[in-house]
Amino acid sequence: MKRFALAVIPLVCLGLVAQTKPAERWFEDITKKAGVDKKHTNRDFDNPYAKIMAGYTALGASVAVADYDGDGFEDVYTTDSKAGGKNHLWHNNHDLTFTDMAEQAGVANANEGDNAVADSMWLDFNNDGRPDLFVVKFGHSQLFENMGGGKFKDVTKAAGLDRYSNAITAIAFDYDRDGKVDLFVGSYFQPINIFQPDSPRFFPESFETANNGGGLTVYHNDGKGKFTDVTEKVGLKLSGWTLDLGHADADNDGFDDLYVACDFGTDHFFHNNGNGTFADLTEKAIGIDSKKGMNVDWGDYDNDGLLDIYVTNITDDYMREGNFLWHNNGNLTFSDVSRETGTYETGWGWGAKFFDYDNDGWLDLYVMNGWVSAGKDSYVPDIFNMVTKPGIDFADARNWPPMGNKSLSGYEKKKLFHSEKGQIFKDQAARHGLDSNKDGRGIAIADFNNDGKLDIMSANANSEPNLYLNTMPAGPHWIQFALEGRQSNRGAVGAQVRLKAAGMTRLQFVSGGNSFAGQSSSRVHFGLADVAKVDQIEVRWPTGQKEVFASVAVDKLNKIVEGTGKKVK
Amino acid sequence: MRMRNLSFLILPGLVLTSLIAPAFAASDADIAKAEQAMAAKDYNTAITVLEAALQSDPDNIRLGSDYRQAIMRKSIAAHPKEGSPLDFDRCITFFEKVVAAHPNAATAYLNYGFCSVDKIPAAGSITQVLLANAALTQFSKSIELKPSWIALYTRGNSYLYWPVIFGKAGLGVADLERAYAMQKTEPTRAYHQRLYISLGDGYWKQDNIEKARAMWKEGLSRFPESKQIKARLDRKDDDLKSYIDDQLDPNKRVDTDLHEIWEAK
Repeated sequence: MKRFALAVIPLVCLGLVAQTKPAERWFEDITKKAGVDKKHTNRDFDNPYAKIMAGYTALGASVAVADYDGDGFEDVYTTDSKAGGKNHLWHNNHDLTFTDMAEQAGVANANEGDNAVADSMWLDFNNDGRPDLFVVKFGHSQLFENMGGGKFKDVTKAAGLDRYSNAITAIAFDYDRDGKVDLFVGSYFQPINIFQPDSPRFFPESFETANNGGGLTVYHNDGKGKFTDVTEKVGLKLSGWTLDLGHADADNDGFDDLYVACDFGTDHFFHNNGNGTFADLTEKAIGIDSKKGMNVDWGDYDNDGLLDIYVTNITDDYMREGNFLWHNNGNLTFSDVSRETGTYETGWGWGAKFFDYDNDGWLDLYVMNGWVSAGKDSYVPDIFNMVTKPGIDFADARNWPPMGNKSLSGYEKKKLFHSEKGQIFKDQAARHGLDSNKDGRGIAIADFNNDGKLDIMSANANSEPNLYLNTMPAGPHWIQFALEGRQSNRGAVGAQVRLKAAGMTRLQFVSGGNSFAGQSSSRVHFGLADVAKVDQIEVRWPTGQKEVFASVAVDKLNKIVEGTGKKVK
Repeated sequence: MRMRNLSFLILPGLVLTSLIAPAFAASDADIAKAEQAMAAKDYNTAITVLEAALQSDPDNIRLGSDYRQAIMRKSIAAHPKEGSPLDFDRCITFFEKVVAAHPNAATAYLNYGFCSVDKIPAAGSITQVLLANAALTQFSKSIELKPSWIALYTRGNSYLYWPVIFGKAGLGVADLERAYAMQKTEPTRAYHQRLYISLGDGYWKQDNIEKARAMWKEGLSRFPESKQIKARLDRKDDDLKSYIDDQLDPNKRVDTDLHEIWEAK
């Protein structure tokens, strides 16, 4: 009898293992099935420098998530850049299919005339609880007010935002804690009309220290529908080739700070002084770099209660810049730990997002890459021939070689870095089918089917987007929060949530559009692994007020409204 | 001390003799003063003393090497990690003047090229290319004047840092094979292991894995304790590629301190 039992036990164990062994691949590409497979196309220019510009403006594929109609399911806006190309407002049908409502909503057209879409972002600028839409352009960016009922109204002029710029990125957060989100717009080229330039000298003057770019514009929101340019007043006058912006509270003083990623030169870190101005702490905080900053995302990857930063740069055979994973030292300085953590090399980097795809309580990273994937010939020798010419004027577009059908850092495979408890990251992209070799740009993370597992939508230049459904087997617990500000801005952008459970504390915050060409869900998501009960959450609202909420439900989306919790100091 | 120096100079068949000899022709007082200043981290004094000494003894490999070390250490002391790129310009400008005044000083050209190499880790990715190009120009001039082992090894090794797409690996292998032929005629010296490593890496870059491994094996037979050679022989395929790519990462500082040369026995 004993011998029989021993023989059976291993078989039972094997059976259990077979039943509980998770599927190898946890993401399914449902782009076509979901109906969101509309191609993005780069803009072709019609001017004397068109052939040269083509290689340097392969941009504009963006993806931005918000529940624009308040039905409890996340919707998506994706962009095109070709002349006359339509943008798409993908309404979530609640069954993992989407319907393009852009024409009906009035947000489809944005590429007419001297306009090429570069990015898009949702923000609730008038605190009415309905996400409004900002379409970022080389040209005249547009602000669309969400009127409800699926309709939007172009309020750009009325808002004081109608001006030409070569804007490429935007975020919105309440830098002065007056209860309204303000608008931060980063521009690539200086504000000359690049569709019909009157001079050829509009390219970067240097590969490493260029200061003839579009810089940054800060618009203060007066809460009455008007924005005012306060860039100089707040101390953020810059002239670099901005590619991305990211906000978060680096020193937990209750005011959000700002990281500016710049192409062809130095990234900047600005500390919010708490009096409506910023101080440039770049040299002390991150040092002076000469790389090609592409992306800014903030997240507490090592769960030490401080928000860290991930910046992509260019890392290929011919250019070994390496990305930055800026570990927050807690004293307004950061240390780059990208080499130690395995996040240093991701090719020609673009958008990157922290998120916990396996709900194990540690933030993972998904990283876009690839510049131009075309013919088999490489553009690298052409560009280096130019670079090594003595006395060349880089600012003159005519000196740059046309790319033609050549490739530059093309066909690069995307990276999904799984966090091994915040110490090291290991690429799992191939395992999960996330290693597309399209020319990736933006990433949006959201739970499109409200199942507690984070899905991914990525935007690709000159190609269709990818919508990946997270199909990880059920098991790990999770919790989500939808925050609503009352004294604070309604979208609670900048709010920090500290979750306490099983003796641990985890930190997340509401982002106002961080990461290149992508905006993720504004819901705050925590993976909880095997922790089935949360002791409490502490919300630090953007106004600075802290509240504790004890009754929160695990494996559910919890709505948290400012003023309904227990106030704490 | 003097006897030891003289006995070193008369070693037969030493290709490096002409390079090493000036090291001991230089003022012992100057070298001692510079060393003392370096030990005290008084880099300004060391730099001033060595600049003065090099003007009268431009081909002195030791003075040139110590001078570059002083420049580099001063910069790194002020700007942790790799120093500030601007600090290295003093070295480049100085040697630019030295070679203008002494156009036949082969070792001065070598140090001139090393000034650019020393600056590379502190520079941006495009400036790195320009510096690498400038260094090659100076190394070539040095070889033109005197095709020594150190000059051929240095230029050959520099070519290996270039991405494959530029097709410079073949040029590197050609230089390194010439240096290899030279060292075959010499007594074994500690620095020779560098050539086994680099020539093997050159063959590897040309996708000639068998030849690469043969060169590393030969090197290991001469230098059984060489960790770098062992590390290559212990690795294969992607693992080996990652290792060599890491070794040839331009962001990592190359040790250009030439003390092995004059300390060789």
